[in-house]
Amino acid sequence: MLKEEILKEFQKIVGDENIDDGEVTTNTYAYNWCVEFVNYLANKDPIPFSSIPKAIILPSTTEEVQKIVQLCNKYDIQFKAQSTGLGPWNQPSTDNCVILDLRRMNKIVKIDVKNLYVVVEPYVSGAQIQVEVMKFGLNIHMPGAGPMASALASHTSMCGPGFTSPQTGHSARNVLGTEWVLPTGKILRLGSLGLKKESDWYSGDGPGPSLRGIMRGWVGTKSGLGVFTRVAMKLFPYPCNTKYIAKGHSPLYDFHLPDFIRAYLLDCRNFKHLEKSLLRIEEEEIAFICSHMSSFAVMAIFSYSLESLMDKIAIGSMKKPLVIVIAARTKREFDYKQKVMNLIMDELNLTNIIGSKYEPKSLFYAECLRANLGYHGFIATGGFQSAKGQCDTAALCLNTERKNIPLKQKYIEKGVIANDFGEGAWMTSYESGHYFHMEVPTLFDQTNAESVKGIAEYMEESNQMDLVKHLGTPFFIEGDELHDEWGPHLMNYHIWLRKIKETFDPNGISDPGFYISSKKGDV
Amino acid sequence: MIMNNDNFLQNLTKICGSRNISREPKDLEEYSKDLSFLKGKSPLCIVWPSKSQEVIKIVKLANDLKFHVIPVSLNSRFKQHGNSIPRKDKSIILNLSRMNKILSINRKNRVVMVEPGVTFEKLIPILKKEGLKLLLPVMPTASQSVLATALEREPITIPRYHWDSSDPLLCIEVVFGTGDLFRTGTAAGPGTIKQQQKMGQAQVNPMGPTQFSPFRIIQGAQGSLGVVTWATLKLELFPSIQKVYHLQSDNIQDLLDLQYELLKYRLCDELFILNDVNLACLLKEDQQEISQLVGNLERWNLIFIISGRGPLANDKISYLEGDIDDISAELGLNFSKSKVEITDKEIFHFLNEPCENPWRMRLKGAYQDMFFLTSFEKLPKFISLMETKFEKDLGIYIQPINQGTSYHIEFDLLYDPKDINEMKSIKEKNMGVRAQLMDFGAFFSKPYGLWAKDVFSHHSLEIIDALKKVKKIFDPNNVLNPGVLCFDD
Repeated sequence: MLKEEILKEFQKIVGDENIDDGEVTTNTYAYNWCVEFVNYLANKDPIPFSSIPKAIILPSTTEEVQKIVQLCNKYDIQFKAQSTGLGPWNQPSTDNCVILDLRRMNKIVKIDVKNLYVVVEPYVSGAQIQVEVMKFGLNIHMPGAGPMASALASHTSMCGPGFTSPQTGHSARNVLGTEWVLPTGKILRLGSLGLKKESDWYSGDGPGPSLRGIMRGWVGTKSGLGVFTRVAMKLFPYPCNTKYIAKGHSPLYDFHLPDFIRAYLLDCRNFKHLEKSLLRIEEEEIAFICSHMSSFAVMAIFSYSLESLMDKIAIGSMKKPLVIVIAARTKREFDYKQKVMNLIMDELNLTNIIGSKYEPKSLFYAECLRANLGYHGFIATGGFQSAKGQCDTAALCLNTERKNIPLKQKYIEKGVIANDFGEGAWMTSYESGHYFHMEVPTLFDQTNAESVKGIAEYMEESNQMDLVKHLGTPFFIEGDELHDEWGPHLMNYHIWLRKIKETFDPNGISDPGFYISSKKGDV
Repeated sequence: MIMNNDNFLQNLTKICGSRNISREPKDLEEYSKDLSFLKGKSPLCIVWPSKSQEVIKIVKLANDLKFHVIPVSLNSRFKQHGNSIPRKDKSIILNLSRMNKILSINRKNRVVMVEPGVTFEKLIPILKKEGLKLLLPVMPTASQSVLATALEREPITIPRYHWDSSDPLLCIEVVFGTGDLFRTGTAAGPGTIKQQQKMGQAQVNPMGPTQFSPFRIIQGAQGSLGVVTWATLKLELFPSIQKVYHLQSDNIQDLLDLQYELLKYRLCDELFILNDVNLACLLKEDQQEISQLVGNLERWNLIFIISGRGPLANDKISYLEGDIDDISAELGLNFSKSKVEITDKEIFHFLNEPCENPWRMRLKGAYQDMFFLTSFEKLPKFISLMETKFEKDLGIYIQPINQGTSYHIEFDLLYDPKDINEMKSIKEKNMGVRAQLMDFGAFFSKPYGLWAKDVFSHHSLEIIDALKKVKKIFDPNNVLNPGVLCFDD
């Protein structure tokens, strides 16, 4: 709870009804997905509750956010901002922290059709944006977290790979003008948005160096360096016609397929052939989705319940599956893309299982277009998290996957994580195969302490393997301990990152739990 | 430590060898000026390092002895923007032209790793032999550094491959102003570059390491935060068939509307608009021929290329032609046929080959360029403003960038360098019109030379404050290229 006089000051900013420091609310906000294994890794009880926030504050404007941050500085209280709030990164890392729940900042500020971008506030989901921009034949990049997640959070603060990344790239690379409340309470407007006259959102870089470089990296700062209140993000062509007709009831809606869309499920048999196939297909720039998954994961993306997962054993026998979806706006484009796929399948001796051995439900195509395949990861056990998160070439990603299998099998044999034969993986191309991402979805039981410990230990050991074998940097290297461990192996980056934190957050007010603190001795 | 001539030169000689240092008056004179109107100071010497370790030692020495380091990629006599001439006393030129190795070419992952001294002239044909295409600005100068061009965020002519404003730049190795060596993106590690490559990595992910992306603050910093010693650059595959479209109109809006649709659906590769003067300068070298061609061209020219590759190249061309025809018909657009024959070969020449001398100099012998970013709607307004100020010898180039989310618009003021009055007039008008452009919302994302101060005065103080903080982190003693951007105000 807050001291009464401090509570009153916050109330003056947002109104009495938009702040609560009562136990019921603050305890509820202490819960989140995957907090249990974060706790375990921090030598705490493996329970799904973080530190309890001192209060929950719901600002509705940038100016209110600014005043809250200034007040936090005045009273030396940390803040943690969240929008749609998925995962432990939204949780306070200490007891001296308030949560800024940005759900009242929920507007699509601008759709600029001619300059192909959209400007949104934090509590606008990818799905909401997509519905609006589809009216103009456009699409938005959505991360693997899914269409329900905040687009602003993904673009400014979190990770960024998504199922449609071959055509829509990575969140971090789609950012334009950005409004950012720094930890000191100053408002920074990046790029063309910082112009005193006629400011606009079309560019986030300059004048001179691009401050996007300190705003985020391959992953974001997770509210460790201020609050992002509005962001412009690039729009992409919608891959086919925009009629989106779904009938029936959840979860098995009947989706009316657009004219020109087709899925391919190919078994590339071994890693070498898989790499060749990925590169060959992506060079042709035809894929809307180009994802390699383990056979178990492929079973999952075609399933809508545990029962239906179990009846896809035929798919489960695939060695190295590759899922390709092509979509087109015109018949000419569609014919050409199908011809290319036929040519490549001939060349590489691949067969499309879809149409011959298996026919997915129409809903699968709806979920492709809506970037909603990630949630299938929860079907088997209800608990799911990804290890790894490498991003460079296809070869690196596949090497990492290959080397990870025996490690994962060790934990499967212990009975602490679900049995996917150690092969669980998701890999996507970005930007027509210019680079690739891989992660290792791992299924566990979050209600079972042994399973929670198991996945935590597996992830730790997996990180170690990547470090020692030079397999790149996983995406959950965050917080002081991991930065201090990895920094010396990566050009001492932690020293520079810490200098940025110290410079832009001199009072350490922006919760550094999933970023870096300035209070260590390196600086 | 206090700098004196003896310890300064002795130390530099120890690092680079006497053969790689010059104090010849002719050399010093050459590096104290460029083709901009900015007057520079004479450097103390020119140093040619040959490896990263030497650069580190020089930057560390500069911190110890308190002298300034101006990084320069090449000996080019065509430097234009005043960003590599000394503004302060006690400056040395760090000339990186002897670091000129192509470190690797990776066809499989479409990436090349180059040192700063690698020129367009050297790299383009080597890549072509491998079937690879460098993402080029419009007809670069042959002696221009490929790496420096990417560091300056020069726009590329294929906007659909411009996925991020930073493209084609990927990972870099950089010596910060502190003298610390750093590698960005996946090049940071774990492991050395060799160890990474052994695991299959090719330094193609520019983001990171982890929660920041330092390459973005080095890019656009005009050498004031770090000295880049190598970079990886994104490549594309060379098409086997290409078709040129050259559409002309007196009405720029028609061309803008068409290019918007083409880019929205990613239908073409190269795509840009030129006015008659700039197109003529790209096509012809001789003054008379240029003037003649200008008279035969419509005012505005949209050029775009469609391409195909491999066994289905013709199929791709057919599908693109069909879709483009449909779009043109939907827009109801009709374009004039050229009064003169311009061959595809001529257009491919300026799209794929560098030129010996800058093409913008061809008509009058000299030019001052003025470029900024803006939005689709504002382009005509800026053109009108400039055309009222500069009635003749004005080249215009419009390049959609970052997949059509903004536009680079460039005005080239062409003049005779021997005509003092004309030069004076250009200089005066140049400064005057910039303020007006900024008031209209022109976003000078790359503020060079004389107009940098003006640009920053049109931006919020918070941006300037944040940039100065960044400078303090990476170059706390203001060793690198002082006087550029907003760092010395």
